[in-house]
Amino acid sequence: MKFGLFYELSVPRPWTRDSERTVYENALEQVKLADELGFDQVWAVEHHFLEEYSHCPAPELFLTACAMLTKRIRVGFGIVVCVPQFNHPIKIAERTAVLDILSGGRVEVGTGRSATWTELAGFNASPDDTKKSWDEFVRCLPRMWTSEKFEFQGEFWSMPRRMILPKVYQRPHPPMWVAVTSPGTELDAADRGLGSLGLTFGQFAEQEKRIAEYRRRIQLCEPVGEFVNDQVSTVNFLYCHEDEAAGLKTGRRMADYFNYLATQLISVRETYPSKSYPSLGLLPQLRRQATGPDSGEQAGEGLCLGGPERIMRALKRWESVGVDRVNFLVNTAEMIPQAEVLASLRLFGREVMPAFNGRKD
Amino acid sequence: MPLFGELELDAVAPALPRLRDLDTEAWEVPRAEIVQLAYEVADGTRTLLPRALHPAIPEYVTFVVTRYPESPVGPFDLAQLRLMARAGVHPRGYVLGAVASTEAAVAALRERWGYPAVRGEIALRRYHDRVASTVRRGGETILELAVVDPEVVAGGDLQYIHAVTLARVDGATQLIQVDPHYTIHHAARGRAQVGRFDAAAWNAAAVKLTTPISASASTCDTDLPRIRFVMDPQAPVVGGTKRVR
Repeated sequence: MKFGLFYELSVPRPWTRDSERTVYENALEQVKLADELGFDQVWAVEHHFLEEYSHCPAPELFLTACAMLTKRIRVGFGIVVCVPQFNHPIKIAERTAVLDILSGGRVEVGTGRSATWTELAGFNASPDDTKKSWDEFVRCLPRMWTSEKFEFQGEFWSMPRRMILPKVYQRPHPPMWVAVTSPGTELDAADRGLGSLGLTFGQFAEQEKRIAEYRRRIQLCEPVGEFVNDQVSTVNFLYCHEDEAAGLKTGRRMADYFNYLATQLISVRETYPSKSYPSLGLLPQLRRQATGPDSGEQAGEGLCLGGPERIMRALKRWESVGVDRVNFLVNTAEMIPQAEVLASLRLFGREVMPAFNGRKD
Repeated sequence: MPLFGELELDAVAPALPRLRDLDTEAWEVPRAEIVQLAYEVADGTRTLLPRALHPAIPEYVTFVVTRYPESPVGPFDLAQLRLMARAGVHPRGYVLGAVASTEAAVAALRERWGYPAVRGEIALRRYHDRVASTVRRGGETILELAVVDPEVVAGGDLQYIHAVTLARVDGATQLIQVDPHYTIHHAARGRAQVGRFDAAAWNAAAVKLTTPISASASTCDTDLPRIRFVMDPQAPVVGGTKRVR
């Protein structure tokens, strides 16, 4: 099992001139430490207009800074929104290649389509079309990276024959992933030979079923890229503390506040009936978790909060249901002081990571 | 911390509905027809929202016109303007204004569920290319809307957000959660079109429509339910919510 960091870059009100800068600087310091501790990857999302919840519209810039500060940690560019009003596919291919060159071949690419009305309407994009445009984009990107020259006639975009430059540094190209929130999207990932980048928390039984189906399905896939990425990744919260009770209390506060900020946004499903968004997705799930049967307990099922032993048990359970990677949110809205976040990472690196097959020096 | 509403309760208290108690019995209302339009609005609606609630990001309203062909007070129509918000982590529609088509319905909606209902005339018509509704009051048209070019969608694609009303009950001002169930028989989605909207007539002078979001029409079995939760309008709902049953 490999471990990573996952950044939404939430910035709490009240805002000052330095609020965002502090969040970014703290994140960079955490990434630098994570690299030293042997974490395998750092991911940064692409979000727009999501007040407080995520001030991260240009992940490739943040990740470039990460790459410059680190030696080995891989940089997860994503979720890149594969909707033409957000990103032209040529620009995605180019920006990925530049980041791959600058990082020395450490890029991973996560693809997605946005799940909020807040963002889609902000770019005047129709929720009805996002699944289709995502499909078109993910089938083009590997060919744009690997073909000497590329041309395309599609429903959402077209281009005459051109040489798209630069080319990615990794051969044949960086691993590709799909953001999975709605049940069923993992099957879209499997059919295309793409990794499942889960963005939901908890619920071992449900995840085990979905992972098993993903594994079964990907064996019969027609990969959109040059190779199959059959890995399953998930996100989790991490707050590791010698004092179990203190770790649980602080960690649960962080997780609850993350949910609280997320649920202030408008999901597509809330406002726009569309078969393109057939399930509840992430935000309603967070609402359930925040008020569900276990919400009164100190930590939800499978969350990596508390002492090292407890976190190790949770991760072993995730490993047993088939998860290959876990990416951690280590803070929300700067509610945990930076020194404590760094201490949590160090403790995790010292007491928990050695029990798994994470990267060793 | 997310933004909160800024409603000055004293300014609205005299006109609030008065619930007789919180022991409201449920009304089963089969074969209801619901038309719902969602619109983004200009910033500035926080002054209409109780302090317990957060504004949605971005701010938006819904118009909900419901035809109840059967009820304990006979058939009636109800039109509502709701300012969409969050009660903690839950989306809720705070009812700014409501018009009902019969006196009996007005009285029942005010006394039982805290709707700020007033009497008016409501038309709900199905044309070949639209479902249209008009609300008139005092001889003036205060709302004219339509679901344009409706196309059939799955009932499961529709999501109806629970309402909250603001009313006096047991000597205090409370937010009342109204959370019906829906069994949808037919659903359609179309473009939202509002021809006329007299915001002041809906206690919502600060509401200025900007961007249409969506429009839907459905036929469903639903209810006006028993009251399950009330909230202190001045306190965050995490601490200010009381379960009635």
